[in-house]
Amino acid sequence: MIHQGRKKIISLLAFVFPALLCYVVFFLAPAFGGVWYSLTDWNGLNPNYSFVGLANYVEVFKQDPVFWDSLWFTLKFVIFMVILQNALAILLAVFIESKGRSKVWFRTIFFMPNMISMIIGGFMWMFIFTKVLPYIAEHTFLTFIDQSWIGDPAYSFFSILIVSLWGGVGYLMVIYIAALQGVPKTLKEAAEIDGASGVQVFKNVTLPMIFPALTIGLFVTLNNSFKVFDAVFSLTGGGPGRATQVIALNIYEEAFSMTSRYGYASAKAMILFLVVFIITMIQLRIMKKREVEA
Amino acid sequence: MSTIRANANSASLGSPESSHYLRKVKFGSILTFIFLVVAAAFTLFPIYMGLLNSLKTEGEMLNNILAWPKTFQFSNYRDAFNKINFLQSLWNTGVVVIVGLAGIIIFASMAGYKLSRTSGKLSSVLFSLFVMSMLVPFHSVMITLNKIAKVLSLQGSTIGLGLIYIGLGVSMAIFLYHGFVKSVPRELDEAAVIDGCGEVRLFFKIIFPLLLPITATIAILNALWMWNDFLLPLLMLTDSDHYTLLLSTNMLFGQYGNNDWSAILASLILAMLPVIILYLLLQKYILNGVVDGAVKG
Repeated sequence: MIHQGRKKIISLLAFVFPALLCYVVFFLAPAFGGVWYSLTDWNGLNPNYSFVGLANYVEVFKQDPVFWDSLWFTLKFVIFMVILQNALAILLAVFIESKGRSKVWFRTIFFMPNMISMIIGGFMWMFIFTKVLPYIAEHTFLTFIDQSWIGDPAYSFFSILIVSLWGGVGYLMVIYIAALQGVPKTLKEAAEIDGASGVQVFKNVTLPMIFPALTIGLFVTLNNSFKVFDAVFSLTGGGPGRATQVIALNIYEEAFSMTSRYGYASAKAMILFLVVFIITMIQLRIMKKREVEA
Repeated sequence: MSTIRANANSASLGSPESSHYLRKVKFGSILTFIFLVVAAAFTLFPIYMGLLNSLKTEGEMLNNILAWPKTFQFSNYRDAFNKINFLQSLWNTGVVVIVGLAGIIIFASMAGYKLSRTSGKLSSVLFSLFVMSMLVPFHSVMITLNKIAKVLSLQGSTIGLGLIYIGLGVSMAIFLYHGFVKSVPRELDEAAVIDGCGEVRLFFKIIFPLLLPITATIAILNALWMWNDFLLPLLMLTDSDHYTLLLSTNMLFGQYGNNDWSAILASLILAMLPVIILYLLLQKYILNGVVDGAVKG
């Protein structure tokens, strides 16, 4: 018996080993290394560094207004994204679901930006913002669109939002369409016959039925929006000044541009992890509770 | 139920309120159609504008940005092709994606299968260890990862980048395989073992082919991720000979700023072309893969 147990363990380890090796070297070690380095003054190059305890964390909390600005900016972005992206995705999904033949066309088109990297998308939108919109404003009555979409902090927030919505809404829409297809037609028909309006049917029949998809949708948006990097990097580069610097960009610059403070940047990365972790856990808990009731 | 049906049928046959209902339905349907068309136009607008102006001279573009090009300036594409070193960049991107994908699929399917089939403490601890990582954002590991890549001399190499993607990608793939293997009957394993089949052969000859549906999903999700990922290649690839398409395009942008737009647009279109073509060909599989991955993940 013991022999057989050992054989089982060996065979388990043999099958898991290749994946485990890559995982440990490229994920677990860096993850735990990050925790350790966040407690040091390491600069990434110097082999000599010292343990500084929680000094980095204290510095982030006490002397780093730039980080808190970027966290606040990111949080604002996340709130807008969570609401707008999911609302838009559900709206598109419901509308597309009601279409018969043109369904595939619309689905294909709305998902297309998802196939394009947000780096490329950001550059293309920069062309729209800096060249196309001013041209249209000059030659039509739509003069109000001639704004400095990238140069003015008030507008650059919305330009990042527009580009991110453009790039991300199709993904959620596809998930919501799949969820809608799982709602039995007879339920909706029964409600309609009972005299419910379209909005009522949606609110009382469809929405509760697709609630599990909503949990996924919110989770995905929360996670992705907190980590937004590509769109900002290519569209505004965090500017003007630091007006659009999101957390991910702040961490990246702290570690890899001039300051090269690996230890300090690691502390910021840990704070980002905690923020994302806590918020998504709360979201999942609330949503799961609701799901059961629905 | 049948009486409700009957009522509904008789109602739709002629009473005045039903024709009013139908008209309302039709009007609403036209409105939603218009909304969808406008939204689709908005979605395609940047791509269309990029395509249109990538075929003009810079002067013509500034003159009338919305107009159809007078003569197609394919030279923009030839220039862009050379400037972003298209074939080399495409090859580099391909190497990264193929190494990463092959590793993720083979390693994760082996691990996911065995973890799913084995009960016991070790197995469940290992599984939770893998799954745990799905909650950690990349930014929390990238700083030390960058250092490890340097130490292992993987920095600057496309194969090295592919290996790193394996480490970052196996978790989700193991999770998906783990769930899927439960639908593969255990009797198959037992029958094969009785027939004297070794475990490795059993897996690759019998089990792996049965995992094809989930393998397709995993391949699609991971290929998309690796193809479009920017930050990790930016950290890992140091010389332009090894740049992926995204890095070459980004570098071009750094060189020209916002000045030579027609050349830049041509390179943007070139960089997105492979993935758009693939999408239009495999649209159904890609969309299904995205749904399966999201729902199970």
